[in-house]
Amino acid sequence: MIKNYFKIALRNLRKNKLYASINIFGLAIGLASCMLIGLYIVKELSYDKFNDKANRIVRVTMEYKMSNEINYAATTGTKVGPEFARTFPKIEEYTRTFISTSNVEYGNKLFNEDRILFADPSFFNIFSFNLLQGNAETILDAPNKIVLTESMAKKYFGDENPINKTITVIGKEMIVSGVSQDCPKNSQIKFDFVTQFLNLGNKVKREQWWSANWITYFLLNTGDDITQFEQQINTYMQTDAIRSQAGLEGESYLNYHMQPLLDVHLKSDLAGFEPNGNMTYIYIFIIISLLILLIASANYTNLATAQSTSRSGEIGMRKVMGASKRQVFIQFISESTTITFIAAVLALLLCVLVLPYFNSITGKAFTKLELLQPISMLLLFLFSVIVSFLAGLYPALVLSGTNVMSVLKKGFRSPGGNGILKKSLIVGQFSISVFLIIYTMVILQQMDFIQNKNLGYNKDHVVVLPISRTMLENFETFKYGLEQISGVQSVTASYETPKFVKWGDGVNVVDENGEHTIDINAMPVDLNFVNTLGMKMVAGRDFIQSDFALMDTTNNSVNYKQPYLINETLAKQIGWSPEEAIGRTIENRASGPVLGVVKDFNFSSLHEPVGPLLMFLGRNFSRNYMVRISDLDVQGTLGNLETLWNERTNGRPFNYHFLDEDYDALYQTEKRSAILFSVAAGLAIILACLGLFGLAAFSIVQRTKEIGIRKVLGANLSNIILLISKNFLVLVTIAIIIASPFAFFATKKWLQNFAYRIEPEWSVFFIPVIVTLLVTFLTVGYHSIRAAMANPIKSLRTE
Amino acid sequence: MIKITDLEKYYKTEELQTIALNKLSFDVKKGEFVAIMGPSGCGKSTLLNILGMLDDSDGGSFIFNGEEVIHYNERKRANIRKHNIGFVFQSFNLIDQLTVFENVELPLIYTGVKKAERKKKVHEVLEKMQIMHRRKHFPQQLSGGQQQRVAVARAVVNNPKLILADEPTGNLDSSNGNEVMDLLTELNKQGTTIIMVTHSEHDAKFSHRIIRMLDGQKVIENSLI
Repeated sequence: MIKNYFKIALRNLRKNKLYASINIFGLAIGLASCMLIGLYIVKELSYDKFNDKANRIVRVTMEYKMSNEINYAATTGTKVGPEFARTFPKIEEYTRTFISTSNVEYGNKLFNEDRILFADPSFFNIFSFNLLQGNAETILDAPNKIVLTESMAKKYFGDENPINKTITVIGKEMIVSGVSQDCPKNSQIKFDFVTQFLNLGNKVKREQWWSANWITYFLLNTGDDITQFEQQINTYMQTDAIRSQAGLEGESYLNYHMQPLLDVHLKSDLAGFEPNGNMTYIYIFIIISLLILLIASANYTNLATAQSTSRSGEIGMRKVMGASKRQVFIQFISESTTITFIAAVLALLLCVLVLPYFNSITGKAFTKLELLQPISMLLLFLFSVIVSFLAGLYPALVLSGTNVMSVLKKGFRSPGGNGILKKSLIVGQFSISVFLIIYTMVILQQMDFIQNKNLGYNKDHVVVLPISRTMLENFETFKYGLEQISGVQSVTASYETPKFVKWGDGVNVVDENGEHTIDINAMPVDLNFVNTLGMKMVAGRDFIQSDFALMDTTNNSVNYKQPYLINETLAKQIGWSPEEAIGRTIENRASGPVLGVVKDFNFSSLHEPVGPLLMFLGRNFSRNYMVRISDLDVQGTLGNLETLWNERTNGRPFNYHFLDEDYDALYQTEKRSAILFSVAAGLAIILACLGLFGLAAFSIVQRTKEIGIRKVLGANLSNIILLISKNFLVLVTIAIIIASPFAFFATKKWLQNFAYRIEPEWSVFFIPVIVTLLVTFLTVGYHSIRAAMANPIKSLRTE
Repeated sequence: MIKITDLEKYYKTEELQTIALNKLSFDVKKGEFVAIMGPSGCGKSTLLNILGMLDDSDGGSFIFNGEEVIHYNERKRANIRKHNIGFVFQSFNLIDQLTVFENVELPLIYTGVKKAERKKKVHEVLEKMQIMHRRKHFPQQLSGGQQQRVAVARAVVNNPKLILADEPTGNLDSSNGNEVMDLLTELNKQGTTIIMVTHSEHDAKFSHRIIRMLDGQKVIENSLI
């Protein structure tokens, strides 16, 4: 019997090729998106789980109240690790960590590396990074030891064994003591090099509660009772001795929380080493994939119900021959099952096919093997079963419930009044599509805005070159050499590039409230900084050669003055107008005069407003030359730069990048979600239109006679097209009206993540509406035109 | 009004060619009532479709109101059709989704008549056909005779010069059939030319002239007046 059902199902597919392909193709796309997104979610949920002791590792976060403001941070002072480990037996081990950038040199090779991890020696005991060479116990037991990842070992040493070789990192010679496997992609800590935490210098050697720049992890003896443990810490932090150590008075307090390692990636608002994944995005992805699957299922339901008219005779006869309601029901469910499982196979093929694109969208590296693992297969199977029933239930119920006599007497009429279900499904499908299109448009516009926003400096055509320690000794001659190259317009140097200034610092100011500190970002720069980056001075001037004379180190530096530039925001926070600021003295590293006020420029991501920034003349801190070149003959200029580089650096590889590339990297997450939404919106509208295409075809079959009569009575082509399209266009218009306000509020909410954002223009709503209506019209129009062109005699002869 | 000469029509399938009309010629004068008779498959309906400009011919000449229309394209023919010709079918061919009023109104919409004018005309013709009281009903709520009266109303609402009727009484009992024939006779008396295909000798007697066909040819023509 079952075999008979499937045979009939297959024959029906062959008979109705158009509807079968729409259904199979649509369901395959729906299932494939569910599968890929499922894979992505499984991966996100697996973050940090590779650590054997993951359940016992916690990240310490800080909560403190100062001057009536409560703050939270993922970083802590240097004291937290050692002090708590001494006090609480629950803590087995601790490690304080910090990721920094440094130039790394070995032989002729010089690269600027930005994943140098500083960690206490127990690091490799706490975390389960696989060591290929070296012993976890001793690998970091001396300040001059350093661990490399496998790919770094390849990069610097090629086929040589790196162990016991000396490389220069942060200006020190270090001995390679071990090689670890590259960090798993699903690790919150990702490094290329690991060396001792104490190598960060004097600032970390003293234990202190403040200057909290370090991320501390504990390995606990058990992962239970964390709340209780937090209470113990809380009590401890409130003792008078600790409060006076931390300089806490009155209502101020300092407290710590233990955040389970496995919660950090998805459930924490506090970013640590990398931008956190976001549970919200996970939910959004789940919803999107389910919506796509729903659209595809709705297509099945609609098309199968529409087909029911033409199959009522068959059902009537089956019932006359003795089929029970249950048997007819099973027959139709078998049909949806057959279709869904064919779609599932196709979905699997689709997944394999688009996997590389999916990887580039998500920035993950899924393999085909992961796609074919039992869990994904099970997932696919489950989804297929659910969809078979979801999509097939309604048509099966309707058709099996058919009354024999009424079918044989009058012919079958489509159930459900005016097809309320059909209409609601179409409205639902298009609401989803319109919503996604609008949302995508807003994301794309915001991305475009970010790309083209006036940042306050000109990021185009600036070549960034790393400066090694030895190069610093010849800083000026090299800079002079660069300036002489034709095509080079201007050269400066700095510690960090302006795309993202991370150096946090403070300035002391005295005003009517007495002396106080303003938290700022700071940036050591060389001459010509303002000019090279195309910034604007609001008052005063850029640094000039003679300013070096202020930094008088003779006589024990008694006359040393540090020259400063500040940005508008800092001037305002201190309470100066730009003009007032010039010549005033401020104190950061040393006291010195403000020589100029720079117009505000964005020196961090556009999620944040511009904060106060201090630039000081500090050539010795320089890690990068920034070379502005002419936009004519970029390749020629780069060639000349390389020639000079090779002459002066004994043939070190010429590693350069452009400032604007760095900038783009800041918005990877947004770019990815923009692509994801574009794809989802595209799929949604394609599937919805496919369904409509099928329905329009049916609608025309059902209305063949009517169209024939109307033509005989004088209807022309446009009358017929309008007749058929009208109903669909009305439904789509309703969908637009439903979806627009939702999209409006959702995009508004998303945009609030940005300090600098667009106001969604009318076009954001207008274009999707036009596009959707047009696409609907074209989809339906195809059939309408065919119907309108057909010879009316034929349609009337069907009687 | 109509003059056809050597009209030909073939139906081709993959294997064979069937001749539906074989060099058929005849005239119909203005104000005439002509019945076309013959066995099934003799080409009656094909002829009617060509006369109604719903179908192409494969040869010959067709002059309508002094105009050679045989080579006219679809749009031109549609234009002549909607201003000059009304149709009555055996199976009524009313649109189920539209009310009586809306069905009758349809040809007026397609000839671009204004709304108020349409209402007036539809009411007039419904009064004349005595189905005014049924104007808000849907076709399936009416008896066969009433449905055919609606179809006739629809055919004449535009004041066509020619009515083509394809077995107008075929689906009706004799009393309803006679009613419809009386209606057509009345219209003819008022000057409308009528060409009617029928199987019924009884109905044919209402006409002025009977053309009998066999295998796509005219075999006999007898005048009844």
